[in-house]
Amino acid sequence: MSKFFYHFWQNFKEFLVLIFLIIVSLYLITLDSSAKTQKLRAMVFSSLAIVNSVLSDIFDSEDLKEDNERLRETNAELMLQLSKLRKDALLIEQLKNSLALKDTSKLQLLSSRVVSRFINNLQETVTIDLGKSDGVEIGMPVISDKGLVGIVFSVSDDFAIVKTLRNNSLNLTVKAERTGEHGVLKWKSNSLRIINVPKTYQIKKGDRIVISELSSIIPVIVPVGVAHSMENLETGIFNEIVVIPYVDFNKVEYVFVIPVVASKEIRNLELNLLKKFK
Amino acid sequence: MKNTSLIPFLFLVPVLILQVSLIPFLSLNGISPDLVLILLVFYTIRNNQMYGTITGFIFGGISDLVFGTILGSSMIAKTVSGFIAGYFSSENKRDEYLTPINFGLIIFLIGIIDNSIFAFFSSFDLSENFISSLLTNTILKSVYTSVLSILMIIVIPKRRMFE
Repeated sequence: MSKFFYHFWQNFKEFLVLIFLIIVSLYLITLDSSAKTQKLRAMVFSSLAIVNSVLSDIFDSEDLKEDNERLRETNAELMLQLSKLRKDALLIEQLKNSLALKDTSKLQLLSSRVVSRFINNLQETVTIDLGKSDGVEIGMPVISDKGLVGIVFSVSDDFAIVKTLRNNSLNLTVKAERTGEHGVLKWKSNSLRIINVPKTYQIKKGDRIVISELSSIIPVIVPVGVAHSMENLETGIFNEIVVIPYVDFNKVEYVFVIPVVASKEIRNLELNLLKKFK
Repeated sequence: MKNTSLIPFLFLVPVLILQVSLIPFLSLNGISPDLVLILLVFYTIRNNQMYGTITGFIFGGISDLVFGTILGSSMIAKTVSGFIAGYFSSENKRDEYLTPINFGLIIFLIGIIDNSIFAFFSSFDLSENFISSLLTNTILKSVYTSVLSILMIIVIPKRRMFE
């Protein structure tokens, strides 16, 4: 019997190892978002990010870097204020009460530098030089002076991985600023799309697309991009709207983390509500 | 005879650094070459199938952790890639497979398999246009990786390659 197994192993060892490793990989896919995996990921990517950070520091002029950082921060703050003002203007036009609006202009911004980026048409990520020690947490939105970049996905002490909008595992609730129509934004077929849009929607080419106040991931209204074209006009009951993002993900170097996590905000609100009725 | 089986692991760190620092500047419309695949295939051809399968598994796992992709997606793709690259590790044909054109073609073939498996496990979406997805996510990326691999094999001194 043992001879049979010995011969079997000798003849098929490559296949047996392949099958075993595939099974292990499949099992690991199910553990992707577990706490242990996040810890391991943080440890591994931060080691590499340190090297990248040192390398990019060498090529950066310190003075220019500081000036740029300050200007970009100002730009980002102005972008948020502009976004809010546009929204206010639309609401006033529609004679709605704007008192309940969230004041995004007072949000604190944590400025950061992109130390490395993983370019991929399916799961693009960037690594930034802010981490737990700076107050960054998983789920925090990341913006540039142009608009939304993505959300924090994994954090080590000094670095964080950000899933950009060019990542098919990121679905965000957005709305067209002009019409107020909501939809789900997704990276699909190598473009950013609002999917399952009813044919009755009035979104037109050139409409600004911003994060919706209904978003459970990003609690701040941030511009995302501009509606470019409508697809699937003939088939099915839904359309898809192609959105051109404001941010050029290949060129973005300085970003800002908004230190708020949507789920925490919702949780606090719910707790406050519970306290009120006790 | 020197034990060279650990050499690719020494090269892995610089290759990962290049992948996230230099390669983004070479990307064309989101399509970028895969340096880890080139390293894996090159050293699998120089060793054997078992070595390629295990090395692919380790390289894929580290790539998933470093790049923030779904843990296991690149791991499974690189494991299969290493296994297939092992078919080109026959001792009497090794030198032939490591000539620029042959190596480029091998990288292209394995690149298609690697990218298809990665795409399947990281973004399985039936509503996507399959042909368009196949073209951009697998074929074009494989062509780019293949071209880069040809340039690299030309640059590597022959004496080092076959030592």
